[in-house]
Amino acid sequence: MKRKENEPMVMTPPRRRRAALTAALLSTALVLTACGGDADEPAEAAATTRSVTAGNGTIEIPAAPQRVATIGNTTLPFIDIGGKPVGVTAESESDVGLLPADQQATYAAATILAASADEVDMEKLAGLKPDLILTQIPDAEFALIEKQLAAIAPTVFFGLDTEWKALAGGLAEAGNLTERFSQQKAEFEGKVTKIQQTYGGIAGKTSFVDVTRWSSSDPGTFAIADIGCSEIARDDIGLDFPKAAAGADPLAWTALPFEQIGSLSTYDVITYPVDAQGRPTAPFAPVVETNTWKALPAVNAGRALGVFCPGNNSYGSVVRYLDSLDSALASLPADK
Amino acid sequence: MTLKEGPGTATVPGPRRRPLGLIVALLVLAVLLLLSVLIGSTRIPPSVVWDALFHSSAGIDQFAIRDYRMPRTIVGLVVGVALGLSGALIQALTRNPLADPGILGVHAGASFAVTVAVGLLGVRDIRGYLWFAYAGALIVTLMVLALGSTRQGSSPVVMVLAGVSVAAVLGGAREALQLTDPDAFDAMRSWNAGSIAGRPLEVVWPVLPFLTAAVVLAFVVAGPLNAMALGDELAVAQGVRLARTRALAIIALTLLAGGATAIGGPIVFVGLMVPHVARWITGPHQRWIFAYSILLAPSLVLASDILGRIVMRPGEIPVGVVTAFVGAPVLIALVRRKKASGL
Repeated sequence: MKRKENEPMVMTPPRRRRAALTAALLSTALVLTACGGDADEPAEAAATTRSVTAGNGTIEIPAAPQRVATIGNTTLPFIDIGGKPVGVTAESESDVGLLPADQQATYAAATILAASADEVDMEKLAGLKPDLILTQIPDAEFALIEKQLAAIAPTVFFGLDTEWKALAGGLAEAGNLTERFSQQKAEFEGKVTKIQQTYGGIAGKTSFVDVTRWSSSDPGTFAIADIGCSEIARDDIGLDFPKAAAGADPLAWTALPFEQIGSLSTYDVITYPVDAQGRPTAPFAPVVETNTWKALPAVNAGRALGVFCPGNNSYGSVVRYLDSLDSALASLPADK
Repeated sequence: MTLKEGPGTATVPGPRRRPLGLIVALLVLAVLLLLSVLIGSTRIPPSVVWDALFHSSAGIDQFAIRDYRMPRTIVGLVVGVALGLSGALIQALTRNPLADPGILGVHAGASFAVTVAVGLLGVRDIRGYLWFAYAGALIVTLMVLALGSTRQGSSPVVMVLAGVSVAAVLGGAREALQLTDPDAFDAMRSWNAGSIAGRPLEVVWPVLPFLTAAVVLAFVVAGPLNAMALGDELAVAQGVRLARTRALAIIALTLLAGGATAIGGPIVFVGLMVPHVARWITGPHQRWIFAYSILLAPSLVLASDILGRIVMRPGEIPVGVVTAFVGAPVLIALVRRKKASGL
């Protein structure tokens, strides 16, 4: 029966029943798809599984997962340790642009499951037939989709409070990528030791501050970055960067108006974000153009250092940060 | 004090009280302009402020005064004048004491255009999306004018309905765009809240000629609007050309509200509340209402902005948030204390 133009579509009871039946069949098909096709697969899988412990308990996962999907903050760290996810939630273009070319290619080859982690297209995810799902999202968001994810593939969840090193280690273990991970970790530890030995003399007697702006920052504001890459410089290397009081929000969460750029004059050395070519990042450029910035003692004394931070939640990107920090510290005038 | 009966108003101040009140309002504004330069999220001694203004040197604190507080104060002044006068115009035009510039879709048009600029075209600097905001406000107002015009001419009620409808459609489209691009939403957060912080004077100068022309236009139509407050028939009998007056008033209020929104985002409540207060002081005489609105609105904007700088030191609260918090209770208190004034 044809519906007339402008006639509202009204579902009659038989239509509703048909629709409900169709929905039920689709749901069943989805679950069956997620569970896999061949009857002998479970037995085979059981023989090659292992257990990992994560934020959602002890999970039985394939010993050598081949089709991994990453949701939320796990995507870039997983790619960094050599993982090749089949499906990912989208990362910002600016973050992807900071990756090495091979990692950008890996990201581009993956199917985008959603613009953000809380909008994952479960049908698309199930269609990828993943054998492992790795996710780091807020606990409340995970609680809403945990059963759906687990119905599709074994799911390893990390809470947002998981420290980046633990996250990288957990992803390496779950993704069976421990060899590459161990190399990166050793390289990181070597760089930290080298910087500590080279600049140990200034660590105790020089005050540092890391400042930043994001593309989302309000106009005319900047922030003191006590989280992110400078957290590594402070906590792992031992440089004297400011830190929020225990229990207080990070300093970086407070947008400071430009008129407070002058308060940076109390620090000996200022670090600020630059791109891979050493230019101030686009969001930070308005800060260095201000008269207040140009009048800062540290800026005039050559102690404002541009540092490249391609990421702070995986060893590969942190090593690149340490290389940049090492070069920046080497350019400090001799008297400090 | 001479008391006159006016339409919908209990008392009308006499000829002496109006100019006196205007002088007081001017003094209040002058004090707030001074405080806006003196007070900020950083404590800077008044002597340094004085030197920054009159004996300039290259000191860091002096730069803070000249580069941030002075421009911010000027932006607050300009935005306040534009919002107050546009609010007075829309209330006179629609004969609706609850009308504000947003009712004709000005805010919605500007916000939608800025969302398109930020989300689809990647414009991130306010100097870039200033003109989008202005164009959006103008186009939507023209659209509302067209939709609100019937064969019998333009009707305030139909115009308001058209404005509310267009604003609803554009509001939905804007939210849909922002949901598909969270980065755009983040970049627009401050603008959407309504803020005069971080706006360089470069965003004020291009808009200023339009605002000046609109102020002149507003005072030109003030007389005819007085007559129209008595009803269309009486206004026509007094020789008022209704369509021309309405068109000029709409052009003026669109230039004002569009300019203010382009610079500061949709700062709410100022355009609604200030004309109310002005009317209580002056009675139903548009020229006086306009003059008072021009002085009281920037005072409210600057006072709210100063408050926003100090209550959460070292951070700040956008002025749009403060005007809503401060303005709403003040308006309720005034409404409960006095009879709502007519138009």
